[in-house]
Amino acid sequence: MGDVYKGIDWEELVRRVVHHSCTGIAPDAERLLREAEGAEDEPAAKSVLGSMIENIGMAGRLDKPVCQSPGFPAVYITFGRNARMPDFAGIFGQVIPEMVGKGFIRPSIVHPLTRKNTGDSTGPGVPNFEYDYRPEAGYVELIVSFKACGAELMNAYKTFTSSTLGNGLKGLKRFVVSQVVEAKGIPCPPGAIGIGIGGQMDVAARLSRRAVSVREWDDINPDPMLADLEAELLETINGTGIGPGGTGGRTTALAVKALMAYTHTAIAPVAVNFHCWVARRAGVRVHDDGRVEMLFWRCE
Amino acid sequence: MAEYKLTVPLTEEDARKLRIGDIVYLTGEVFTARDMAHLRVRSLLDKGELVPGPPMREGGVLFHAGPVMVKEENAWKLMAIGPTTSMRMEPHSGLIPKLGVRAVVGKGGMGGSSLAMFKEWGAVYLAAAPGCAVKHAQAFKEVKSVDWLDMGMPEAVWDFRVEDWGPLVVAMDSHGNSIYDIIAERARKALGY
Repeated sequence: MGDVYKGIDWEELVRRVVHHSCTGIAPDAERLLREAEGAEDEPAAKSVLGSMIENIGMAGRLDKPVCQSPGFPAVYITFGRNARMPDFAGIFGQVIPEMVGKGFIRPSIVHPLTRKNTGDSTGPGVPNFEYDYRPEAGYVELIVSFKACGAELMNAYKTFTSSTLGNGLKGLKRFVVSQVVEAKGIPCPPGAIGIGIGGQMDVAARLSRRAVSVREWDDINPDPMLADLEAELLETINGTGIGPGGTGGRTTALAVKALMAYTHTAIAPVAVNFHCWVARRAGVRVHDDGRVEMLFWRCE
Repeated sequence: MAEYKLTVPLTEEDARKLRIGDIVYLTGEVFTARDMAHLRVRSLLDKGELVPGPPMREGGVLFHAGPVMVKEENAWKLMAIGPTTSMRMEPHSGLIPKLGVRAVVGKGGMGGSSLAMFKEWGAVYLAAAPGCAVKHAQAFKEVKSVDWLDMGMPEAVWDFRVEDWGPLVVAMDSHGNSIYDIIAERARKALGY
């Protein structure tokens, strides 16, 4: 055990995953987008969704970045006790500038205060790595997400309390739905709305991002309470009429995804995290027995 | 709802005849500017160090966008281009008449001060399908120039020639109407917020 990792060319795997992620969207998101296009009866909304679907096809055929904005790269790594991991930061530090040079990633990372562009989409803290150690996992899993930042502009956080959560979570629901209405077309709807609940402020915020970056957008939450919350909010949000691009229609979100952690009795942290429709998510799982499994992979 | 094929430079009359919901296809020159270019233009204008001229020309079209470009044999080649979030440029609505802009293209819409400026000056906001960067790029036929690359690829001012670029939706017109505001107001009312 363990030695199988010796033969793994991580750099090439990362290169494939980054390229796949930049040039298309995850199959689950594309399925939902196509369903939404079929269900729209307003011609303008149908036309916007049609453009999105057409654009995905063109990006794949022409081998181009599916959206001009590469957003912010985040890498979610899950590993078990037998895992042997390479220097992922070093590998991404090679692969991302290489993809910038080839025109798959626009150099978009800047110093947060001087706003000076580094020129190759690297910089301290970029990509944003999250490591999740699960002793029983018989693999190393890497998921890469390029999450666009127009959507990030509308993210919000609020510390609720037992009282302000409201009857039937009315306070929480209004917070989320209001944020969607006031965001209008800014987060490039229809995407996914992530909700992070519990922990402390940073925990809720991280969970809200993870919910829309790692989960398939058409999965069912294993927690029945969260599954109900997701379904109810999705229905309410799609009743707002904001629509694709914010110019009206019945599809404002393809999914609502919630994750939670337990919290302290005094607080109820809630974060809302917008993901645009461009679900750039791809990954790879290398099993302890040497099997290599590509994740969220489109047919090529 | 009407459909128009317009040629840049646009006139005030071109802008005034458009109503929210109309569809526009553009042919001619289009320049990009995001946050940093707006800030630099303002600072240079304040100091009297900039006389607006090409690519920021009278009747021009300002595209809120940062393209993906590669340099091949010393020439810039466009990989993908699509609209960025226009609301970030809301603090700079005063630049629209100063630069002679008659149409702003972007995504997500702008706020009250831009809407008032569109009305007073005679300009429109056109919504481009968000995220559809490969599709939009098909209409971008030529890279005319680039200025201020020191601000980085996305924030530089790129000048392109487009042909029949669209469909672009008139989402804010010069008569005080914004599709975004109408839809949000309707949603608030329906939700009882």
